[in-house]
Amino acid sequence: MSGDRANMRYGHRGDPVPGRRVARADGAASPPAASAVATCSHERRARADTRNDRWFRGLLQACALLVLAVLLGAALSTAWGGREVLLGQGWRFLGSAQWDPVTNNYGALAPVFGTLVTSLIALLLAVPLAFGIALFLTRTAPPWLRGPLGTAVELLASIPSIIYGMWGLFAFVPFMARVEPWLSASLGRLPLIGCWFQGPPLGLGLLTAGIVLAVMILPFISAVMREVFQAVPAQLIEAAHALGATTWEVAWQIVLPYTRAAVIGGIFLGLGRALGETMAVTFVLGNSYAISGSLLMPGTSIASSIANEFNEAVGTHRSALLALAFLLFVVTFAVLLAARLLLRRMTRREGLR
Amino acid sequence: MSSDPGPIRIELARSRQGVAPAAGAAAAPAKFAVRGLDFHYGDTQVLHEVSLDIPLHRVTAIIGPSGCGKSTLLRVLNRIYSIYPRLRASGEVLLDGENVLDRAYALNRLRSKVGMVFQKPVPFPLSIHDNIAWGIRHHERLSRPELQARVEQALRRAALWDEVKDKLQRSALGLSGGQQQRLCIARAIALRPEVLLLDEPTSALDPVATARIEQLIEELKGDYTLVMVTHNMQQAARVSDRTAFMYMGRLVEVDATETIFTSPSNRHTEDYITGRFG
Repeated sequence: MSGDRANMRYGHRGDPVPGRRVARADGAASPPAASAVATCSHERRARADTRNDRWFRGLLQACALLVLAVLLGAALSTAWGGREVLLGQGWRFLGSAQWDPVTNNYGALAPVFGTLVTSLIALLLAVPLAFGIALFLTRTAPPWLRGPLGTAVELLASIPSIIYGMWGLFAFVPFMARVEPWLSASLGRLPLIGCWFQGPPLGLGLLTAGIVLAVMILPFISAVMREVFQAVPAQLIEAAHALGATTWEVAWQIVLPYTRAAVIGGIFLGLGRALGETMAVTFVLGNSYAISGSLLMPGTSIASSIANEFNEAVGTHRSALLALAFLLFVVTFAVLLAARLLLRRMTRREGLR
Repeated sequence: MSSDPGPIRIELARSRQGVAPAAGAAAAPAKFAVRGLDFHYGDTQVLHEVSLDIPLHRVTAIIGPSGCGKSTLLRVLNRIYSIYPRLRASGEVLLDGENVLDRAYALNRLRSKVGMVFQKPVPFPLSIHDNIAWGIRHHERLSRPELQARVEQALRRAALWDEVKDKLQRSALGLSGGQQQRLCIARAIALRPEVLLLDEPTSALDPVATARIEQLIEELKGDYTLVMVTHNMQQAARVSDRTAFMYMGRLVEVDATETIFTSPSNRHTEDYITGRFG
């Protein structure tokens, strides 16, 4: 589509520009000579335009290709660096939860589990909250509050992750340590999901990391939602209200379906960040290579394992960390791909657009 | 629109209205009676003491130059303005004798009685069927066949059924502009309202689609009371029974359409309909 538009824009470069021609002819002494000069300069101009266009389009292409090259290069070099473990341990690398640098036995299951679980918790908390924030900012907030509150949410995004990590460890972890006994006592009694909330109140752990991640991705998701909610035509919303709909019905049944593609895009932007977030998670996750049924227990994630160990890793250990990095590529790619497919299927099923 | 009318003198139609209903509407009782309506947008007053009767089962057109307040007046009638902050209406808008501006008048009740169609066709991002059913479901609990019947009825009434009956489950966004606007009318009348507000319903449509909508308005008038804001004076002359002319937030003149277009009593009205301004 953008290609078509570019062609449209540049398609007429060969057309004469009468105004310019006349203006040049005016200043010359004899009309025939002036006309010849004008034609000549016009042709030169056309040639130059063609050349410049070709260069510019090449440049744009190069920019885009550079991204692909960097992405492929990074993925391949991590795969290459991790080949010893990837090939040497094979499926055991994916299926085992054991991570033992002493015996050189490496299994990625615990970090992958931790990465996915913390990201999922973050999404579950951040998405409804972002939806509420975006709706409030676009629909119900008084005008004087919209600016300051919007800026405040965006400020959340500008806090470096190391600060989130420190805040998480020194302020939030002690808080969670006090809340967790209460969680165990209440949510822990529920059937099915009760076991998620049982365990020692360490403060550190999957749940804490998920909550900190939620705060970190919240501004990204809500910024996207706010943006697209603002783009919903006012008349569409008025039409819904005119049929008697409540603010909630308009938000849930009209605004959300109308902006669904962009909203899902925003959610997966947040998910992408949550999957790769390193510093904050490293601080509050507890760094234990264990897969636990309880969200209150410590765990580890791909990124924080690498951050913790790259300093002292040599030989097979180093290869294992690079293999982990490659795995993060694969996991992120798989998640984004799944999002695309999900979106396409939803669009097709409802026959929209 | 906001400023004081200044040196321009406007004879308010209010006095005439107050005395006796104008000739053309003598037979029809008033469905809506607007009395001394002021409207403020923040600190800016955009309607000044508007008083107007809207007769039952007639088409009332509101004309006037851009910014004269005609859309605002329409948007007060179903209180749609109230979804925005800082907008304020005062005075009385009586629907069958009850003041709809009263907080005690439930919005649900008002909106089921007064439907609205907008300038641009705005189908919901749902299927054709669901576009109609969505509004009905809000107000009534119907069984599936009942709902089906209501949807069909509304689509037939809006002269759209034959064109869409085979693709009810397809997205409404795939319809043409004219079809979308008829869908919006169907959506509004599916709630069985008593009044239908039309805010420049054809200004985004081509002449053929416009003619269909105008014909539809003509047909609907037997069952509904219609109020239409329009920029197009020929349209007002073609479709409406009564015409109200507004200027700078005031109602200048209201009378039978024929009278307004042949012998208006106010100089501003005459200037406007003869194209001298606006």
